[in-house]
Amino acid sequence: MKIAIILISLGILGFYLMDIFFGIGFGVQHFSNGVKDLYLSNSKDILKVSNVVTSIVVNFRGFDTLGEVTVLFLASTALGGILYKKRHHVGERSVLFPASRIVMSGAKLLFPSIVLLGAYVFIHGHLSPGGGFQGGTIIATGFLLMLLTYRNYSVSHNRLVYFESLAGILFISIGLVGYFSKGSFLENVLPVGNMNDLFSGGVIGIIYIAVGFKVAAELTGIIYTVLHEKD
Amino acid sequence: MSILEIIGGLLIVIGSIFLFLGALGIYRMPDVFNRLQAGTKASTLGAMATILGVGLLAPGWIFKVLIIILFIAYSNPISSHALARAMHKRKGYMYFKDEDIDAYSEIEEKDNSEK
Repeated sequence: MKIAIILISLGILGFYLMDIFFGIGFGVQHFSNGVKDLYLSNSKDILKVSNVVTSIVVNFRGFDTLGEVTVLFLASTALGGILYKKRHHVGERSVLFPASRIVMSGAKLLFPSIVLLGAYVFIHGHLSPGGGFQGGTIIATGFLLMLLTYRNYSVSHNRLVYFESLAGILFISIGLVGYFSKGSFLENVLPVGNMNDLFSGGVIGIIYIAVGFKVAAELTGIIYTVLHEKD
Repeated sequence: MSILEIIGGLLIVIGSIFLFLGALGIYRMPDVFNRLQAGTKASTLGAMATILGVGLLAPGWIFKVLIIILFIAYSNPISSHALARAMHKRKGYMYFKDEDIDAYSEIEEKDNSEK
Protein backbone atom coordinates (compact mmCIF):
# COMPACT_ATOMS: atom_id res chain seq x y z
CA MET A 1 0.00 0.00 0.00
CA LYS A 2 2.78 2.38 1.02
CA ILE A 3 4.78 1.46 -2.07
CA ALA A 4 1.72 2.01 -4.26
CA ILE A 5 1.22 5.52 -2.84
CA ILE A 6 4.88 6.34 -3.38
CA LEU A 7 4.80 5.03 -6.96
CA ILE A 8 1.62 6.92 -7.79
CA SER A 9 2.95 10.23 -6.40
CA LEU A 10 6.26 9.71 -8.20
CA GLY A 11 4.34 9.05 -11.39
CA ILE A 12 2.31 12.24 -11.04
CA LEU A 13 5.48 14.21 -10.30
CA GLY A 14 7.26 12.64 -13.24
CA PHE A 15 4.37 13.42 -15.58
CA TYR A 16 4.38 17.09 -14.68
CA LEU A 17 8.19 17.26 -14.83
CA MET A 18 8.08 15.76 -18.34
CA ASP A 19 5.55 18.40 -19.23
CA ILE A 20 7.88 21.14 -17.97
CA PHE A 21 10.93 19.69 -19.69
CA PHE A 22 9.23 19.35 -23.07
CA GLY A 23 7.98 22.93 -22.77
CA ILE A 24 11.51 24.33 -22.50
CA GLY A 25 12.48 23.87 -26.14
CA PHE A 26 16.15 22.94 -26.15
CA GLY A 27 18.35 24.30 -28.89
CA VAL A 28 16.11 27.28 -29.54
CA GLN A 29 17.78 30.61 -29.00
CA HIS A 30 15.30 32.76 -27.12
CA PHE A 31 17.49 35.77 -26.47
CA SER A 32 20.13 37.21 -28.74
CA ASN A 33 22.55 38.28 -26.02
CA GLY A 34 22.16 35.52 -23.45
CA VAL A 35 19.91 35.82 -20.43
CA LYS A 36 22.03 38.15 -18.30
CA ASP A 37 20.28 41.36 -19.34
CA LEU A 38 16.91 39.71 -18.81
CA TYR A 39 17.91 38.61 -15.29
CA LEU A 40 19.24 42.05 -14.39
CA SER A 41 16.22 43.95 -15.65
CA ASN A 42 13.64 41.42 -14.41
CA SER A 43 14.98 41.26 -10.86
CA LYS A 44 14.92 45.07 -10.68
CA ASP A 45 11.66 45.80 -12.47
CA ILE A 46 9.42 42.75 -12.01
CA LEU A 47 10.58 41.15 -8.77
CA LYS A 48 11.85 44.37 -7.10
CA VAL A 49 14.74 42.52 -5.44
CA SER A 50 17.93 44.43 -4.74
CA ASN A 51 20.09 41.28 -4.40
CA VAL A 52 20.22 39.98 -7.98
CA VAL A 53 22.07 36.81 -6.98
CA THR A 54 19.21 35.86 -4.69
CA SER A 55 16.58 36.51 -7.32
CA ILE A 56 18.46 34.29 -9.77
CA VAL A 57 19.17 31.52 -7.25
CA VAL A 58 15.70 31.35 -5.76
CA ASN A 59 13.36 32.54 -8.45
CA PHE A 60 14.75 32.29 -11.97
CA ARG A 61 16.85 29.23 -11.16
CA GLY A 62 14.78 27.98 -8.23
CA PHE A 63 14.65 24.46 -9.58
CA ASP A 64 18.46 24.21 -9.30
CA THR A 65 18.26 25.34 -5.68
CA LEU A 66 15.72 22.61 -5.01
CA GLY A 67 18.28 20.18 -6.44
CA GLU A 68 21.03 21.57 -4.20
CA VAL A 69 18.85 21.20 -1.12
CA THR A 70 18.10 17.64 -2.20
CA VAL A 71 21.84 16.92 -2.53
CA LEU A 72 22.39 18.12 1.02
CA PHE A 73 19.46 16.02 2.22
CA LEU A 74 20.88 12.94 0.48
CA ALA A 75 24.33 13.57 1.99
CA SER A 76 22.92 13.78 5.52
CA THR A 77 20.78 10.70 4.95
CA ALA A 78 23.74 8.73 3.61
CA LEU A 79 25.91 9.77 6.56
CA GLY A 80 23.18 8.72 8.97
CA GLY A 81 22.91 5.40 7.17
CA ILE A 82 26.63 4.74 7.37
CA LEU A 83 27.00 5.73 11.03
CA TYR A 84 23.68 4.32 12.20
CA LYS A 85 25.12 1.13 13.71
CA LYS A 86 27.43 3.04 15.97
CA ARG A 87 24.72 5.30 17.30
CA HIS A 88 23.39 2.76 19.77
CA HIS A 89 25.59 3.80 22.62
CA VAL A 90 24.46 7.37 22.83
CA GLY A 91 25.58 9.07 25.97
CA GLU A 92 28.51 11.21 26.91
CA ARG A 93 30.76 12.01 24.03
CA SER A 94 34.38 10.94 24.07
CA VAL A 95 36.07 14.26 24.74
CA LEU A 96 39.60 14.52 26.06
CA PHE A 97 38.66 16.86 28.88
CA PRO A 98 35.52 18.83 29.74
CA ALA A 99 35.24 22.48 28.82
CA SER A 100 36.03 25.03 31.49
CA ARG A 101 33.46 27.09 33.33
CA ILE A 102 34.31 30.21 31.35
CA VAL A 103 33.62 28.47 28.05
CA MET A 104 30.41 26.95 29.40
CA SER A 105 28.87 30.23 30.53
CA GLY A 106 30.20 32.02 27.45
CA ALA A 107 28.65 29.45 25.13
CA LYS A 108 25.32 29.86 26.89
CA LEU A 109 25.49 33.59 26.14
CA LEU A 110 26.79 33.17 22.61
CA PHE A 111 24.33 30.52 21.42
CA PRO A 112 21.20 32.74 21.22
CA SER A 113 23.10 35.51 19.46
CA ILE A 114 24.51 33.06 16.89
CA VAL A 115 21.01 31.70 16.20
CA LEU A 116 19.69 35.27 15.94
CA LEU A 117 22.43 36.18 13.46
CA GLY A 118 21.63 33.11 11.36
CA ALA A 119 17.93 33.94 11.35
CA TYR A 120 18.77 37.54 10.37
CA VAL A 121 20.94 36.34 7.49
CA PHE A 122 18.28 34.09 6.00
CA ILE A 123 15.35 36.43 6.59
CA HIS A 124 17.22 39.30 4.90
CA GLY A 125 18.53 37.08 2.09
CA HIS A 126 16.86 39.12 -0.62
CA LEU A 127 18.16 42.44 0.72
CA SER A 128 21.75 41.82 1.76
CA PRO A 129 24.50 39.28 1.05
CA GLY A 130 23.71 35.88 2.44
CA GLY A 131 20.65 33.71 2.29
CA GLY A 132 19.20 30.40 3.34
CA PHE A 133 22.33 28.29 2.99
CA GLN A 134 24.56 30.76 4.82
CA GLY A 135 22.05 31.45 7.60
CA GLY A 136 21.43 27.75 8.13
CA THR A 137 25.15 27.11 8.37
CA ILE A 138 25.53 29.87 10.97
CA ILE A 139 22.75 28.31 13.07
CA ALA A 140 24.44 24.90 12.77
CA THR A 141 27.71 26.39 14.07
CA GLY A 142 25.77 27.57 17.12
CA PHE A 143 24.64 24.00 17.75
CA LEU A 144 28.22 22.83 17.16
CA LEU A 145 29.43 25.21 19.86
CA MET A 146 26.87 23.86 22.33
CA LEU A 147 27.67 20.25 21.44
CA LEU A 148 31.41 20.83 21.87
CA THR A 149 30.99 22.67 25.17
CA TYR A 150 28.44 20.55 27.01
CA ARG A 151 29.16 16.85 27.06
CA ASN A 152 25.55 15.81 27.60
CA TYR A 153 23.88 18.40 25.34
CA SER A 154 21.61 16.57 22.97
CA VAL A 155 19.51 17.55 19.98
CA SER A 156 16.20 15.78 19.44
CA HIS A 157 16.57 13.84 16.22
CA ASN A 158 12.81 13.65 15.70
CA ARG A 159 12.49 17.41 15.95
CA LEU A 160 15.27 17.88 13.38
CA VAL A 161 13.54 15.50 10.96
CA TYR A 162 10.25 17.33 11.56
CA PHE A 163 11.74 20.75 10.76
CA GLU A 164 13.58 19.40 7.74
CA SER A 165 10.53 17.70 6.24
CA LEU A 166 8.30 20.69 6.93
CA ALA A 167 10.75 23.04 5.22
CA GLY A 168 11.07 20.74 2.21
CA ILE A 169 7.30 20.42 1.90
CA LEU A 170 6.97 24.22 2.11
CA PHE A 171 9.53 24.71 -0.68
CA ILE A 172 7.91 22.21 -3.03
CA SER A 173 4.36 23.34 -2.28
CA ILE A 174 5.28 26.96 -3.08
CA GLY A 175 6.69 25.71 -6.36
CA LEU A 176 3.55 23.71 -7.10
CA VAL A 177 1.29 26.67 -6.27
CA GLY A 178 3.30 28.68 -8.78
CA TYR A 179 2.96 25.91 -11.35
CA PHE A 180 -0.78 25.54 -11.02
CA SER A 181 -1.67 29.23 -10.84
CA LYS A 182 0.93 30.87 -13.10
CA GLY A 183 2.07 28.01 -15.30
CA SER A 184 5.69 27.40 -14.33
CA PHE A 185 7.35 25.79 -11.32
CA LEU A 186 8.38 28.28 -8.58
CA GLU A 187 6.71 31.19 -10.38
CA ASN A 188 6.15 34.16 -8.10
CA VAL A 189 2.56 34.21 -6.81
CA LEU A 190 2.77 36.81 -4.03
CA PRO A 191 2.76 40.61 -4.37
CA VAL A 192 6.29 41.92 -4.86
CA GLY A 193 6.11 45.12 -2.79
CA ASN A 194 8.68 47.89 -2.98
CA MET A 195 12.39 47.56 -3.55
CA ASN A 196 14.56 47.32 -0.38
CA ASP A 197 11.56 46.54 1.84
CA LEU A 198 11.60 43.48 4.07
CA PHE A 199 8.37 42.26 2.46
CA SER A 200 9.50 42.40 -1.12
CA GLY A 201 10.42 39.90 -3.75
CA GLY A 202 7.30 37.77 -3.40
CA VAL A 203 8.06 34.14 -2.60
CA ILE A 204 11.85 34.61 -2.27
CA GLY A 205 11.69 35.45 1.43
CA ILE A 206 9.49 32.46 2.27
CA ILE A 207 11.62 30.05 0.21
CA TYR A 208 14.79 31.32 1.88
CA ILE A 209 13.26 30.86 5.33
CA ALA A 210 12.39 27.28 4.35
CA VAL A 211 15.90 26.68 2.97
CA GLY A 212 17.44 28.18 6.12
CA PHE A 213 15.48 25.86 8.41
CA LYS A 214 16.25 22.88 6.19
CA VAL A 215 19.99 23.53 5.98
CA ALA A 216 20.22 24.25 9.71
CA ALA A 217 18.42 21.01 10.59
CA GLU A 218 20.48 18.93 8.14
CA LEU A 219 23.86 20.30 9.17
CA THR A 220 23.00 20.01 12.86
CA GLY A 221 22.01 16.40 12.24
CA ILE A 222 25.30 15.72 10.44
CA ILE A 223 27.36 17.33 13.21
CA TYR A 224 25.43 15.45 15.90
CA THR A 225 25.84 12.13 14.10
CA VAL A 226 29.57 12.62 13.59
CA LEU A 227 30.19 13.75 17.17
CA HIS A 228 28.38 10.72 18.53
CA GLU A 229 30.49 8.28 16.58
CA LYS A 230 32.69 6.21 18.89
CA ASP A 231 35.44 3.90 17.86
CA MET B 1 36.55 68.51 9.35
CA SER B 2 34.48 67.96 12.44
CA ILE B 3 35.71 66.79 15.80
CA LEU B 4 34.01 63.40 15.36
CA GLU B 5 35.96 62.75 12.18
CA ILE B 6 39.26 63.60 13.85
CA ILE B 7 38.56 61.31 16.81
CA GLY B 8 37.38 58.54 14.47
CA GLY B 9 40.49 58.81 12.32
CA LEU B 10 42.72 58.76 15.38
CA LEU B 11 40.93 55.66 16.69
CA ILE B 12 41.39 53.89 13.36
CA VAL B 13 45.10 54.74 13.38
CA ILE B 14 45.48 53.48 16.97
CA GLY B 15 43.59 50.31 16.12
CA SER B 16 45.74 49.69 13.07
CA ILE B 17 48.91 50.13 15.15
CA PHE B 18 47.63 47.58 17.69
CA LEU B 19 46.64 45.14 14.95
CA PHE B 20 50.10 45.51 13.41
CA LEU B 21 51.76 44.92 16.78
CA GLY B 22 49.60 41.84 17.30
CA ALA B 23 50.67 40.45 13.94
CA LEU B 24 54.30 41.23 14.73
CA GLY B 25 53.91 39.48 18.08
CA ILE B 26 52.55 36.33 16.44
CA TYR B 27 55.60 36.32 14.18
CA ARG B 28 58.14 37.25 16.83
CA MET B 29 57.09 35.54 20.11
CA PRO B 30 58.79 32.28 21.11
CA ASP B 31 55.99 29.90 22.20
CA VAL B 32 52.26 29.30 21.91
CA PHE B 33 51.17 31.18 25.01
CA ASN B 34 53.15 34.28 24.21
CA ARG B 35 51.82 34.21 20.67
CA LEU B 36 48.27 33.84 21.95
CA GLN B 37 48.79 36.81 24.23
CA ALA B 38 50.01 38.96 21.37
CA GLY B 39 47.51 37.68 18.86
CA THR B 40 44.39 37.95 20.97
CA LYS B 41 44.88 40.82 23.39
CA ALA B 42 46.33 43.23 20.86
CA SER B 43 43.93 42.27 18.12
CA THR B 44 40.92 42.56 20.44
CA LEU B 45 41.83 46.15 21.27
CA GLY B 46 42.85 46.87 17.69
CA ALA B 47 39.63 45.53 16.19
CA MET B 48 37.48 47.33 18.77
CA ALA B 49 39.25 50.65 18.24
CA THR B 50 39.11 50.37 14.46
CA ILE B 51 35.40 49.53 14.44
CA LEU B 52 34.61 52.30 16.93
CA GLY B 53 36.51 54.71 14.66
CA VAL B 54 34.40 53.60 11.71
CA GLY B 55 31.29 54.17 13.82
CA LEU B 56 32.37 57.71 14.64
CA LEU B 57 33.13 58.46 10.98
CA ALA B 58 29.70 57.17 9.91
CA PRO B 59 27.36 58.03 12.83
CA GLY B 60 24.43 56.16 11.25
CA TRP B 61 26.12 52.86 12.00
CA ILE B 62 26.85 53.55 15.66
CA PHE B 63 24.37 50.98 17.06
CA LYS B 64 25.63 48.23 14.76
CA VAL B 65 29.18 49.18 15.74
CA LEU B 66 28.38 48.99 19.45
CA ILE B 67 26.81 45.54 19.00
CA ILE B 68 29.88 44.33 17.08
CA ILE B 69 32.16 45.70 19.82
CA LEU B 70 30.10 43.93 22.48
CA PHE B 71 30.32 40.71 20.48
CA ILE B 72 34.10 40.99 20.10
CA ALA B 73 34.46 41.89 23.77
CA TYR B 74 32.87 38.67 24.87
CA SER B 75 33.69 36.19 22.16
CA ASN B 76 37.37 36.92 21.63
CA PRO B 77 38.57 36.40 25.25
CA ILE B 78 36.50 33.21 25.57
CA SER B 79 37.93 31.70 22.41
CA SER B 80 41.51 32.62 23.32
CA HIS B 81 40.95 31.17 26.78
CA ALA B 82 39.73 27.91 25.22
CA LEU B 83 42.76 27.79 22.91
CA ALA B 84 45.22 28.44 25.71
CA ARG B 85 43.57 25.89 28.00
CA ALA B 86 43.57 23.24 25.28
CA MET B 87 47.27 23.91 24.67
CA HIS B 88 47.97 23.64 28.40
CA LYS B 89 46.06 20.37 28.67
CA ARG B 90 47.94 18.89 25.74
CA LYS B 91 51.24 19.78 27.48
CA GLY B 92 52.30 21.71 24.44
CA TYR B 93 55.62 23.26 23.62
CA MET B 94 56.65 25.84 26.23
CA TYR B 95 59.63 28.10 25.94
CA PHE B 96 60.32 28.32 29.67
CA LYS B 97 59.80 24.64 30.36
CA ASP B 98 62.96 24.28 32.42
CA GLU B 99 62.01 26.99 34.89
CA ASP B 100 58.98 25.04 36.09
CA ILE B 101 56.52 27.91 36.17
CA ASP B 102 53.02 26.50 35.79
CA ALA B 103 50.59 28.55 37.85
CA TYR B 104 47.47 27.26 36.12
CA SER B 105 47.99 23.62 37.11
CA GLU B 106 48.60 24.70 40.73
CA ILE B 107 45.26 26.50 40.72
CA GLU B 108 43.59 23.51 39.13
CA GLU B 109 45.00 21.14 41.75
CA LYS B 110 43.71 23.44 44.46
CA ASP B 111 40.29 23.50 42.79
CA ASN B 112 40.18 19.73 42.54
CA SER B 113 41.20 19.22 46.15
CA GLU B 114 38.49 21.62 47.32
CA LYS B 115 35.86 19.62 45.50
